Amino acid sequence: MNAVPQLFFDAASLGGIYAMAALGIALIFGVMNLVNFAHGEYIAFCVFALIVPSSDAVAVMFLGKAPAILLIPVLLAFGALIAVASEYVVFRQLRNANPVAMMISSFALGFVIQNALLAVYGSRPKAISLWPDLNTPVSVVGASVPLLQLIVIITTLLVVSVLALLLKKTRVGLEMRAAAENFTMARLLGVRANVVITGAFALSGAMAAAVAMIMVTQTGVADVRMGGQIMLVAFIATVIGGLGSLPGAVAAGFLIGAVSVVLQAALPLEARPFRDAFLYTLVIVSLLLRPQGLFASASAKPRV
Amino acid sequence: MTKLGVYDLEVRYGKVPALGGVTLHLQEGERLFVSGPNGAGKSSLLKAIAGAVSSSHGRVELDGDIITGKSAEAIARYGLSMVPEGRDIFSTLTVEENLRVGTGIRADKQAIEGDIAEIYDAFPILGERRHANAGALSGGQQQMLAIGRGLMTNPKLMMVDEPSLGLAPNIVDQVYDTLVALQQERGLTLLIVEQSSARAARVGGRMVLLRGGQVVGDGDAAEFAERDLLKEAYFGQADQSKSTEEAL
Ligand SMILES: Nc1ncnc2c1ncn2[C@@H]1O[C@H](COP(=O)(O)OP(=O)(O)OP(=O)(O)O)[C@@H](O)[C@H]1O
Ligand SMILES: [Mg+2]
Repeated sequence: MNAVPQLFFDAASLGGIYAMAALGIALIFGVMNLVNFAHGEYIAFCVFALIVPSSDAVAVMFLGKAPAILLIPVLLAFGALIAVASEYVVFRQLRNANPVAMMISSFALGFVIQNALLAVYGSRPKAISLWPDLNTPVSVVGASVPLLQLIVIITTLLVVSVLALLLKKTRVGLEMRAAAENFTMARLLGVRANVVITGAFALSGAMAAAVAMIMVTQTGVADVRMGGQIMLVAFIATVIGGLGSLPGAVAAGFLIGAVSVVLQAALPLEARPFRDAFLYTLVIVSLLLRPQGLFASASAKPRV
Repeated sequence: MTKLGVYDLEVRYGKVPALGGVTLHLQEGERLFVSGPNGAGKSSLLKAIAGAVSSSHGRVELDGDIITGKSAEAIARYGLSMVPEGRDIFSTLTVEENLRVGTGIRADKQAIEGDIAEIYDAFPILGERRHANAGALSGGQQQMLAIGRGLMTNPKLMMVDEPSLGLAPNIVDQVYDTLVALQQERGLTLLIVEQSSARAARVGGRMVLLRGGQVVGDGDAAEFAERDLLKEAYFGQADQSKSTEEAL
């Protein structure tokens, strides 16, 4: 067994999940200066959409039974739908409120979704198996890598490139980039605020669905609280990457994934339980050295 | 025909009134300069007309349609374009992307490429740097880009807020020459904020003087320039914007 390639695949696949989650947050922040703390709950929502609503300990597949070719687009649409719906119901009403009020409402929205899931599905984590075959290891350059890791890495690269193309080559992408830099000016040029914001939420929600599928396949668990943990890491990634910078969010997501995998491997056994303490110390150091973010874009204005 | 009608328009930021009931009319194809000291409410007037800030009282009509209270993106669709003070270029977009942002509302898609070519013709430096990040342009080039971008929505009425701000005199000449040429060619109606009455007189057109959020003068730009020149002779004021303020 070869340790270095193994480490690389672990780091790249964990980083890929973080990067996709961070992208979901950065997209919304870019166009409306909102850190949407309900994003983690979109992920949990998509996970639970896979199983039959019930509080039984054993999960019965519902959407999860569908073949991948159907399941993937439907779940992506589900994620987009809940994100767009929450924009319509909550954030649109607060369009002219200050950013802090919007952020607090996103917390509230997150609690509402979480408690709705708790009420329907109960609080016990459920074992669920989506695409278990993907966890069979395959051998790549001397490392034994679960197929899923490869898929995660490829998916991340694919999602990031599609998103980049979308932003760079399409009309709505151009409008989103313009609006992200100066919303008022974009509107003076006829850019429809609702189109741009709905587009950002739809993309962000679809990203949450992609993360949900990967997490479920990897962990085999559906847990109402699973959104919180990944949201925390993703949020940190968007801050380190420079709030509002999409490339920054991706790079920082991969960086955090890599650092935590390396720490896990390099720390002495007795220090491993405190891996996250080391990780967050590094986060603090990085923010002290570069408060504007490691990969801050020129347009990122200092905020909060 | 009246292109723009502004009736008793009022703007407040919190309790502070910035515009205290302004009424003015603009005929189709006309060129109107708005002048006045700093803080007179010139920018607030333009923003309120374009829907970038909301007015607390009064009415704005474009071609007889009431546009008061409509969103900026809706007003842009009526054929009104505003080039803001400070230009507000999208610095992370390329020069050409900046030009294309406003083309989404056009019905005549086939004319877009021709318009872009025309803008590169008027400002060759923009054509040379079409793929460069707009943030890397100089102040004068950014002003040209802002005007070009404002034209790309294919407006009938264009409002330009202080195009000469911070530019060298020869660049200001170039910007005004192009504005005048474009106006004649396209039958544009122009509303330009310009603090220098001498400059306005040289370009030619009507002038409205604002002070303290109110219209305190309306006439030919040349008359204002003459008066300012007299003041200058009497009081030895070198600063033209100051002397415009003293006119009347
Ligand atoms: N966003 C704002 N919030 C609060 N007050 C404002 C705001 N914008 C402008 N004001 C105030 O409104 C008044 C008019 O400002 P405005 O920018 O319209 O003047 P102006 O004639 O364009 O001035 P300048 O020549 O400096 O550009 C000023 O007293 C200004 O301080
Ligand atoms: Mg002004």
